[in-house]
Amino acid sequence: MNQRTRVTSPQTRLAQRRGSDAMGRLSHLAGRPPVPSSAIDLAAAERALRRQRRLAVRTAAGLLLALAALLAAAVLTPGRLGWAVLFFAPYPVLLALAAAHVRRAERIEDGHAAAPEDAA
Amino acid sequence: MLGLAAIGLVIAASVAIGVWGVRAARSTPDFLVASRSIVPGWNALAIAGEYVSAASVLGLAGLLVKNGVGAMWYAVGFTAGYVLVAALVAGPMRRSGAYTVPDFAEYRLGSPRIRRMCGLVVLVIMLLYLLPQFKAAGVVLELVSGIPYWIGVIGAGLVVSSTIAVGGMRSATYVQAFHYLVKLAFIAGPAVFLVVLAGAGRREAALHPVAADPDWTRPLLDLDGSGHPLLATVSVLVATTLGAMGLPHVVMRFHTVAGARAARRVAVSVIVLLSVFYLFPVVYGLLGRVVTPDPEETDVVPVLVPGAIAPGVLGAVLTALVAAGAFAAFLSTSSGLLLALAGGLSHDLFGGSLSRLRLGVAVGTALAVALSLPAAGVDINVLVGWAFAVAASTFCPLLTLGIWWRGLTETGAAVGLLVGAGSSTGAALASVVLDLEPGVLSILLSQPALWTVPLAFLAMAGASRFGTVPDWAGEAVLRLHVPGRYSTGDTGAIPRARRD
Repeated sequence: MNQRTRVTSPQTRLAQRRGSDAMGRLSHLAGRPPVPSSAIDLAAAERALRRQRRLAVRTAAGLLLALAALLAAAVLTPGRLGWAVLFFAPYPVLLALAAAHVRRAERIEDGHAAAPEDAA
Repeated sequence: MLGLAAIGLVIAASVAIGVWGVRAARSTPDFLVASRSIVPGWNALAIAGEYVSAASVLGLAGLLVKNGVGAMWYAVGFTAGYVLVAALVAGPMRRSGAYTVPDFAEYRLGSPRIRRMCGLVVLVIMLLYLLPQFKAAGVVLELVSGIPYWIGVIGAGLVVSSTIAVGGMRSATYVQAFHYLVKLAFIAGPAVFLVVLAGAGRREAALHPVAADPDWTRPLLDLDGSGHPLLATVSVLVATTLGAMGLPHVVMRFHTVAGARAARRVAVSVIVLLSVFYLFPVVYGLLGRVVTPDPEETDVVPVLVPGAIAPGVLGAVLTALVAAGAFAAFLSTSSGLLLALAGGLSHDLFGGSLSRLRLGVAVGTALAVALSLPAAGVDINVLVGWAFAVAASTFCPLLTLGIWWRGLTETGAAVGLLVGAGSSTGAALASVVLDLEPGVLSILLSQPALWTVPLAFLAMAGASRFGTVPDWAGEAVLRLHVPGRYSTGDTGAIPRARRD
């Protein structure tokens, strides 16, 4: 940590980092990808996008089902047990859904980085 | 007076941490966006700190007392939104390198026009979200110190804008994280005490509401008493779940983590933090139903409960703690919102320099204060619900389609944003102006997300057909999903090893 660091204002660093123009806009991004198309393995990227999209749709559908099931369970469970369903049950379910998604998404990315293969 | 002192301490501690954070920023090369080097744990705490607003700390318990246990569906929706944030938005947003939603729109569509439209939508959402925060500050200050509502609101505005001026964006992460801990400690701690102090009789009464209204005990939410509780509940769930995805100040925070993977993981951690927090509004709500059955102002129920259960010094101390927790909620959420609003005003709408940010904060605060004076009578959660409904009907489709579908065009985005913003704000306004008989129509107007979100998606996707997809659009989408060197968001001075 003995390295000398250049001191600039955070705004300057932000502007430099973003490659912005004087107004701080991301002008270089719009319509002008900094990476030429040839630098990307387009076919592999395309496969990764498809798999991620499939996973995203599956998670969204899972969330819809989970919320519907929780709603039904809370309403149909009689008395205060129904309250308990509403007060406590949703959170572990939501956490499990999100955690499972992240694990799968990372696996897709790893697969992509190492050797893109179209397993599913 | 004890309450006022506790609130003063929270403010002083926030300013102190803010100043310390700025100093830490100077010694760390990449701070501002920076916080990129901040441990994901801090980021999750900061997001939760900003997100757990007055609606969660005060509004939920108040609504539970007034409308029934179904009020907790709000908390479920607030949390469920982060499943979608983790699955649909966090990673790609981080890779886009865009700092705000308007930035993203420009990245994806290359259109300054859409950028300005998004800036306007940010303004609407942030104002709708700010109003209830200021209302909360006003009612809490009034309760603990007897200061009239309007003076409290103006004072709160001065406090927030000056803490931002002192600390600014640079130290926001630490201050917000601190606020999450304050909220949790000052709400959870007293809650445990109160459950014990309430005694067996009142605990029993809280769990077995004698001769309670069946509408109240049913785990569904019917705000207007429309007679269609399932419809009303579903509409609130749609608004809160999808709205969380489109909240500009939340999206902004994912820029401050190390990479796309970390961004997703942070979203998961936020779910954990929210789950822990949302156990406690239930305690205040159920006890409040017994000890403060018919409060004049339901939004202050959590602050009233300690005094009703434990009279004397102990009650006063617990009340002060809860009031300070509520004020921390106001402070963190409103400063996050004001920064996003000021950013929208100075950066996206007028293309001004960053130095206009402070002016933006001042203007935003003045607007929010002025609007929250007449909003004193509206429930916090109703107003927050509208902010979520507008976000769900505008930025949720924009981000979802922009990230996952290359066919989105400038035309589609413009039409979709107009339709979504117009229908959701129009419906909310109509529900205020028309004063309809409770029924299906009143639900569809006061909780419009159920129909405005699909409408906005359809309009955006449908109208996209009438625009032209630029030849770089495919690559702009691909780059959001490919790890490593292709993604613009990960370029810059960050060492290779730290990327994705």
